[in-house]
Amino acid sequence: MNPIVMALRGLYGVWLREITRATRDRAQLIGGISRPLIWLLILGVGLNPYFRGEVYGEVRFVIPYTYLQFLFPAVIVLNIMYTSIQFAVSVIWDREFGFLREVLVSPMPRWLILLGKVLGGATVATLHGALVLILARFADVTLSLEQVALALLLMFILAFGLTSFGVILAARVRSFEGFGVFSNTVILPLYFTSSSIFPLDPALTRAQQAVTYPEWLVFLVQINPITYAVDALRGVLINFNQFAPAMGVGVIVAMAVVFFVVATIDFARQ
Amino acid sequence: MTSPQPGPEAQSLSAIAISVDGLSAAYAGKTVLDNLTLEIRRGSSFALLGPNGAGKTTLLNILSTLRRPDGGSARVAGADVVRQQTEARRSLGVVFQDSSLDDRLTAWENLEFHGLVYGMAPKRRRERSAAVLALVELEDWRDEIVRSFSGGMRRRLEIARALLHEPQILFLDEPTAGLDAQTRVRIWRYLDELRRARDLTVLTTTHYIEEVEGADTICIIDHGKIIAQGSPEALKAQYGSRWLHLTPRDQAALEAIQAARPDAQPLGAHGLALPADDGAMTDAFLATFRDRLVEVRFQDPTLESVFLSLTGRQLRDRADDQHNADKAAGRRGGRR
Amino acid sequence: MKGGRNRWIQPAINLLITVALLTTLSFLPPDTSLSDRQKTGVLKLCVPPSYPPLVTGDPQQPGFDIELGGKVAAELGLRLAVNTLSSIGTDFNPRNWSLTRGQCDIIAGGVADTLQSRSFLQTIPTPIETGWVGVSKSGQLPAAGGSVVVLPGTSGLDRLKLSGWLRQQSRQVIPARSPQQFAETLASGRAAAGITERFLTAGMALPEGVTPFWLDEAQFPRFRMAFGLWKGDQTLKRAVAAALQRLEAAGDMAALEARYHIETIEEAP
Repeated sequence: MNPIVMALRGLYGVWLREITRATRDRAQLIGGISRPLIWLLILGVGLNPYFRGEVYGEVRFVIPYTYLQFLFPAVIVLNIMYTSIQFAVSVIWDREFGFLREVLVSPMPRWLILLGKVLGGATVATLHGALVLILARFADVTLSLEQVALALLLMFILAFGLTSFGVILAARVRSFEGFGVFSNTVILPLYFTSSSIFPLDPALTRAQQAVTYPEWLVFLVQINPITYAVDALRGVLINFNQFAPAMGVGVIVAMAVVFFVVATIDFARQ
Repeated sequence: MTSPQPGPEAQSLSAIAISVDGLSAAYAGKTVLDNLTLEIRRGSSFALLGPNGAGKTTLLNILSTLRRPDGGSARVAGADVVRQQTEARRSLGVVFQDSSLDDRLTAWENLEFHGLVYGMAPKRRRERSAAVLALVELEDWRDEIVRSFSGGMRRRLEIARALLHEPQILFLDEPTAGLDAQTRVRIWRYLDELRRARDLTVLTTTHYIEEVEGADTICIIDHGKIIAQGSPEALKAQYGSRWLHLTPRDQAALEAIQAARPDAQPLGAHGLALPADDGAMTDAFLATFRDRLVEVRFQDPTLESVFLSLTGRQLRDRADDQHNADKAAGRRGGRR
Repeated sequence: MKGGRNRWIQPAINLLITVALLTTLSFLPPDTSLSDRQKTGVLKLCVPPSYPPLVTGDPQQPGFDIELGGKVAAELGLRLAVNTLSSIGTDFNPRNWSLTRGQCDIIAGGVADTLQSRSFLQTIPTPIETGWVGVSKSGQLPAAGGSVVVLPGTSGLDRLKLSGWLRQQSRQVIPARSPQQFAETLASGRAAAGITERFLTAGMALPEGVTPFWLDEAQFPRFRMAFGLWKGDQTLKRAVAAALQRLEAAGDMAALEARYHIETIEEAP
């Protein structure tokens, strides 16, 4: 029998299992719905008046978009981050409840098993990110088909990288109990320092950014890879970049490659 | 690396299903397997018997390519478990001691997953899934989520799953624990049929003597070494003793018997067990103490008594301890 | 295979419910800008005193933006109140126009849909284009070394780029402070050509024989003129945009464009 066909069947099997499990997990779906609602409907609308112009020319942050539009791509990234990194729970689950061994004694090579798992997790995370797109109307983000397609592609690559990151975390976390706390201490700081809910003023030079915000905060934002992922999605969805547009795509792809390679090495050691 | 390895095809025709040569393994500086060598014939039923920490699970893990040996080599269906992992895995079906089902999937989905991972074509997958579900009589449960299954049902499903891809060799780690007697008998009957029809080789580890009685070969290991190997009858003949179980009338009688026969073993609160292989000696003993006994019974050799005389330990009493210890070891192992 | 298909029904239902819920919620109004206007019944349009042909100051033909504003207000069931503020356009920095939300709902009469404008306002483009235009008798700019009079205007075009380009072409630049000065410089012949915003040519008395023409579009992109709304006034913006679309579909927009002769630059009065 053709070994490539067999490998693809295995890949599909591992992927399908992740998808099937996700459809049985209502808590995850509810999280995927409630996060965009909280961040976009409540935080976005709540802070909107503070970011809007009341006097022509007196806007402090001259981002050429409304706050809701600004927030919109970041909420997509947040939803992807949560779902991707929570994917580690699935990995820990497999390990703790013995299912992992069923896969490990199968003829599939380990990297292929991991690829299937990560693809599955990334698919689910991308879907959760796409849920936010439904709210585009609310945030006044007008989307063309090409924009949606390009955004979904970027979202998937980002989800792939973050899911691999989740696998790396899982290899280092001992129990479920710790993971809930742990994931929040990873996700939320990454999210808040990604220029997601406040812009670094793009109209100003780098020296002036540090005047607006303390240097340490600007530094944190600049070393955070999620910053560039958010920026890439902003480029696609609202035509706005704070950094060089190629940078965002580059960082997303680099994360996907590096994290997957590290995760493969980790996984092969099990 | 082009040394001519006999392909699995060629080897599968040979009479040896599993060969283990000088296998050693250590865990945390402690020797678990000590220069172990054994051969398992194709189509045979081979049982590994041993107390806690004897190295059975480690051996099984090495044979199923989950763990690398620290020395020696092992071949499964002709494939080296280190260098030809994929070939080795393809020929194996494994039923683990702890459930390795996905309990968020249905029975059918678990089988479907297994079939896909083993690269089976859709039609064959469906046919085989239906066949193995029928074997373990879970057809009515095919679309139920595994989480709602009882322990016995899970076990049956796992055995069905291990047989799905028609492996040449089946590993059963404590296979029928928690199954009712009927199911156990049926599964063993089916496995025996498969052995005859398809030359399936079955390697079992167990605490249940009843299960081992049906095996062609029993291998007793302790401290990572083989201490005895042979058919159940041969082992009983070679190592099994006939015992005389008796209950003395009172404490004075008990003390008198112990004084007369220093080889008497305590049995329960008031009983004693005497080696009864020597007929003349037994007759003399009974003639002397007949009036001071309440109950007398001859115990023929069993595998349990074989085990007892070989290791000086009971097997069954340790079952629960061992299960827990193995479970903990499995978790540690899985994490690394 | 009954189970094989059934297992996807429940997840599909869940997903449908999710999509329906989110879609429904996306129709929630994110602010009160429209409902406030509906409460008062008035839509306030801020314009400069004159920016022909968008704002003329002539009661018979008040201007494209003002008439369009009136139609939009009618579509929304509101009364249009035009606030003529002389501060608009007096300075190239909109900050100094000192417009507030209290005075204006919509700012029109010279807002171009540029990045600069969008930094302060959200814009709904109208079909009219603006950009740098040259004016000369020959219909082109003089060769390198020639003099050009420049009136930058206030609609937010990129003046830095223009001056850089002119310097690179080593043309003499004569800055003009007002349309009158621009026209006089041209008439006197001190400059062979002039460069200004498209709509500033409409309001000035150009010398005989001088015609406007677009500068190279690759170098100097044209922009749509726009209605400017305050950032965050999402509901009002949506309502205005929808009203404009209806007007466009009904042909009112084209009729207005014909009335003010602003389809092409050559037809400008």
